[in-house]
Amino acid sequence: MLTRRIFLRGSAIAMAGMGAVPSWLARAASVEGKKRKILVAIFQRGAADGLNIVVPFAEKRYRELRPNLAIAPPSGQTSASGLNIVGPNNGTTIDLDGRFALNGAMQPLKALWDKQQLAIVEATGSPDSSRSHFDAQDYMESGTSGKTMGDGWLNRALPTAGAETSPLRAVAMGSQVPRTLRGERQAIAVGDSQQFNLGNQDAASILENMYATSADAQWGRTGKDAFEAMKLIQSINRSPYNPQGGAQYGPSGDLGRSLQQLARLIKADAGIEAAFAEIGGWDHHGNENPQLSNVLRQFSGALAALCQDMGDRMEDIVLVTMSEFGRTAQENGNAGTDHGHGSFMLVLGGPVQGGKVYGKWPGLEKEQLFEGRDLAVTTDFRAVLGELICGHLGQKDVGPVFPGFQPSDPLGLLRS
Amino acid sequence: MKRFLLLMAAAAMAATCLSFLANAEGRFDKKLSPDQQILQALNRLTFGPRPGDIEQVRHVGVQKWIELQLHPDQIPENPELDARLKPLATLRMDLAAIVKEYTPEPLQPIVLPAMTLNQLLPPEDMRKVQIGTAEERTAVLKSLDPDKRRQVLAALPPNVLAHTPEFQKEGEDARKLQQEEMQKENRRRNPQLNDLLNPDQVNVARSGNKEQLTALFAYLDPEKRPLVAGLLPPQSLAVLPELRRAGMFRRTPRLVASDDLKQAKVFRALYSNRQLEEVLVDFWFNHFNVDQAKNVPQTQNLEHLLIGSYERDAIRPHVLGHFKDLLLATARHPAMLYYLDNWESMAPGGFEVGPFAPNRGVVNGVPNSIIPSPLARQAHGLNENYGREVMELHTLGVKGGYTQDDVIAVARCFTGWTVRDPANPEFVFASFMHDFGEKTVLGHKIAAGGGEQDGLQVIDILGHHPSTAKFISRELAQRFVADDPPQALVDRMARTFTKTDGDLRAVLETMFTSPEFFSEGAWQAKVKSPFEMVVSAVRAIGGEASDTYALVQKIADLGEPLYNKLEPTGYPNTGDAWLSTTGIMGRMNFSTALASGLVAGVKLDSTRLEGNDAPAIARDLLGRDASPQTQAALEKGLEGTDHTAPFIASLVLSSPDFQRR
Repeated sequence: MLTRRIFLRGSAIAMAGMGAVPSWLARAASVEGKKRKILVAIFQRGAADGLNIVVPFAEKRYRELRPNLAIAPPSGQTSASGLNIVGPNNGTTIDLDGRFALNGAMQPLKALWDKQQLAIVEATGSPDSSRSHFDAQDYMESGTSGKTMGDGWLNRALPTAGAETSPLRAVAMGSQVPRTLRGERQAIAVGDSQQFNLGNQDAASILENMYATSADAQWGRTGKDAFEAMKLIQSINRSPYNPQGGAQYGPSGDLGRSLQQLARLIKADAGIEAAFAEIGGWDHHGNENPQLSNVLRQFSGALAALCQDMGDRMEDIVLVTMSEFGRTAQENGNAGTDHGHGSFMLVLGGPVQGGKVYGKWPGLEKEQLFEGRDLAVTTDFRAVLGELICGHLGQKDVGPVFPGFQPSDPLGLLRS
Repeated sequence: MKRFLLLMAAAAMAATCLSFLANAEGRFDKKLSPDQQILQALNRLTFGPRPGDIEQVRHVGVQKWIELQLHPDQIPENPELDARLKPLATLRMDLAAIVKEYTPEPLQPIVLPAMTLNQLLPPEDMRKVQIGTAEERTAVLKSLDPDKRRQVLAALPPNVLAHTPEFQKEGEDARKLQQEEMQKENRRRNPQLNDLLNPDQVNVARSGNKEQLTALFAYLDPEKRPLVAGLLPPQSLAVLPELRRAGMFRRTPRLVASDDLKQAKVFRALYSNRQLEEVLVDFWFNHFNVDQAKNVPQTQNLEHLLIGSYERDAIRPHVLGHFKDLLLATARHPAMLYYLDNWESMAPGGFEVGPFAPNRGVVNGVPNSIIPSPLARQAHGLNENYGREVMELHTLGVKGGYTQDDVIAVARCFTGWTVRDPANPEFVFASFMHDFGEKTVLGHKIAAGGGEQDGLQVIDILGHHPSTAKFISRELAQRFVADDPPQALVDRMARTFTKTDGDLRAVLETMFTSPEFFSEGAWQAKVKSPFEMVVSAVRAIGGEASDTYALVQKIADLGEPLYNKLEPTGYPNTGDAWLSTTGIMGRMNFSTALASGLVAGVKLDSTRLEGNDAPAIARDLLGRDASPQTQAALEKGLEGTDHTAPFIASLVLSSPDFQRR
């Protein structure tokens, strides 16, 4: 394993050939040994169908509401109704606790559940009831209601920059910095890292010098930061990368690629504190089950690969997943579901008190459903995130991160 | 909270800018040289100088040229622009026609000739088959000829045959056959690439170059062309604009309208002779921002259809007219009524008669059918969104002296200003939604019983408010002079605004003839936005654009997706927002692609800069000498090497110097 010290020295040497050693690297080297906690947020854009992902198989109403769409209860289990009629091709589930089961396509996450590194929070969501992807994503990313703030919760959750702060402290694994990470603290979008490759080495060195010596203070600084980040990313990418522990990112699509790139940055001690990645394709208004299995395989495969690859480093890492809202409890006329309300969140990592389904289950009876049709929200998404921001990132108070939000008693997601 | 944050941000900015301001303040009275004045005028009134522009302005004279730009109707438009806008048909259609032609056909369910049981069998037989004994069912089924039996079996629910094993297999086969026919019909309606093309053709369609694609489409039957185009991702047709448009029309017709507008915006910025007008349209659209992605209930992508008309009919006619006309036109346009939710704002307690009422009808002569499905949304009452933003963002400014009570009063005045129907999006005053009570807006009493007039009175009050004169003047000065423009200039502009009843041309004249506009404090003081950077680069290098698809993409990649700013604040007017590490890398990569001729749709005259040295190329592209530091960096970097003109050009376009105007 590449140690931090070796990387720092190695990079410094590699960069000596390209110009001066970045000042950040020099500063970072001096605080070597100080452990950084990392929070990774993963957004499932398009409103994931929580009820077919973390399946409430013990609930009689589940099967009644979804005669064509309900996923088979775990083998050896029957649903509460006593009926055990399984529709064709409706997949399998993995029993978690006798009440809930994971969709069978999430097999890669089973080991993490067993190791108690995976916690599930049921019936989570935001107070936003617009059922608009757009409005609800915006609410969830900004972390606040009504008039949107320009910045995102994960940016506000970071401490103000210090001398040892890396230019890569907050990275979005995509071409743009999403709302979640936007704000006052420096945040960089690391797409497929091609962006941070000027191609022409001559041009790069001329421009680096041009920006470093520029009398234009604003652009000079921006250019300097950009070249620092570029070198860091390039030098990290130069060495071949072998995921550890047999981690397989390969078959996991874009999210797999994003998380593999993130893994490289984390393992190279690039100074990551917060990261963001996303996966789309959850908006299943018709023909849901096969599509859902497909996207769930990518999703859980990528998460599992990252955890595997990180090995012992998982002790400093927490991943949290979210989607803007859930889907209707009842199936629609096209073997799909429409826009709903409550959904679920996954929390993964070494510090997580896993192997448990958290949150108050609101039930699926008509009077228990939100507006008579959707899973109700019993845990505000900000309660989950707030707990991680305090317990993992060490913030004292979530007030500035989630203005106007009153946190209730903690769920106890993290080991103390 | 928002206001608090803005204050915090302002305070933070003031703190960081303080040292800079201390120097800059004094320099607003230091005059630019005549050459600098020419470039200053071009950098601020246009999207950047093209080859030859400096000489032209010098020839006409700066003041006279500015005067001309202030009267665009006296400038003959560039025929090249008209030719390029021609294929973008929605630009010239009225809104009703756009809605009609660019709304997707509703999906028709697949109905097979298969008949229902009561069409196939006499009542007695039908009873026997459905709920009779197994023997009765068997007897009837056996009596039918095979064709008819197949139809009957396909129409029967499977559980009916559970106790008639002899026909179970035949029933399954019949249903399967029917299923297959449905799929076949579906496939016929929605053919896939493999149905339309042979394997070689599919390869060409997916990854062919321009010549191969052109040949393939020329070879296809005309009616097949849009089908094939619709199945290809837009980037496959990046080089064939008309087919790309046809394909998009087949997939998502409404998106064609917003796409036309984006293409046109870049074409106009590149080619229009009436540059100031285009700069102003950009400024005022952004000031009265609406977002193409605004969600209108049950009408997907509707805002995409509306924004072109919004720019053309509400913004463009007034950019050199009177401010209150601009304000009124935006207030009444469906794009704004949807965007800031005023369309559904209504008198509290108006549930019984409003558009959300369970029973439809005609109230006060206006059909009560504004909302397609009244029960689809639960409502309703006052919506403060527009009432707040019209003061905070459009007129008075956040510190313009209004209170929460004013927000509510303004919102009440605008109740009933709504849209007739998503299928017929035009302004209508719906009196049944209106709050007829008395209101007080910024100290002005608005008498009870007013109606539509209440909103007009608010427009009048806001349009003439001293805070509006100051706020609008400051916004304009921020765009055209400096991020933190001198107060004395803003005050003079505000005086002109007040004196002329908000004549925007007069306000601009005050600014463009001011010493501050031509001062060192304003020189290179503005950071280019991504849109400004991209179009100014194409203009500077003398690129000829036949298609702006790639440029529109690039502008979005650099962080300014056109017509797609979610927040009503619009894109930032000041530089700090655009100074980002990702942004500068993206700008460098774009500059390299552009100078090397690798941006699709943009052609360069490769001979133009050939044989020039770096200082000459910098002078050509910047319209002035590069800064001494940039010159030194170029000289040092290029020393002893043999670099080509495009390489040097890419460095100049990537330089800090080119990121300012």
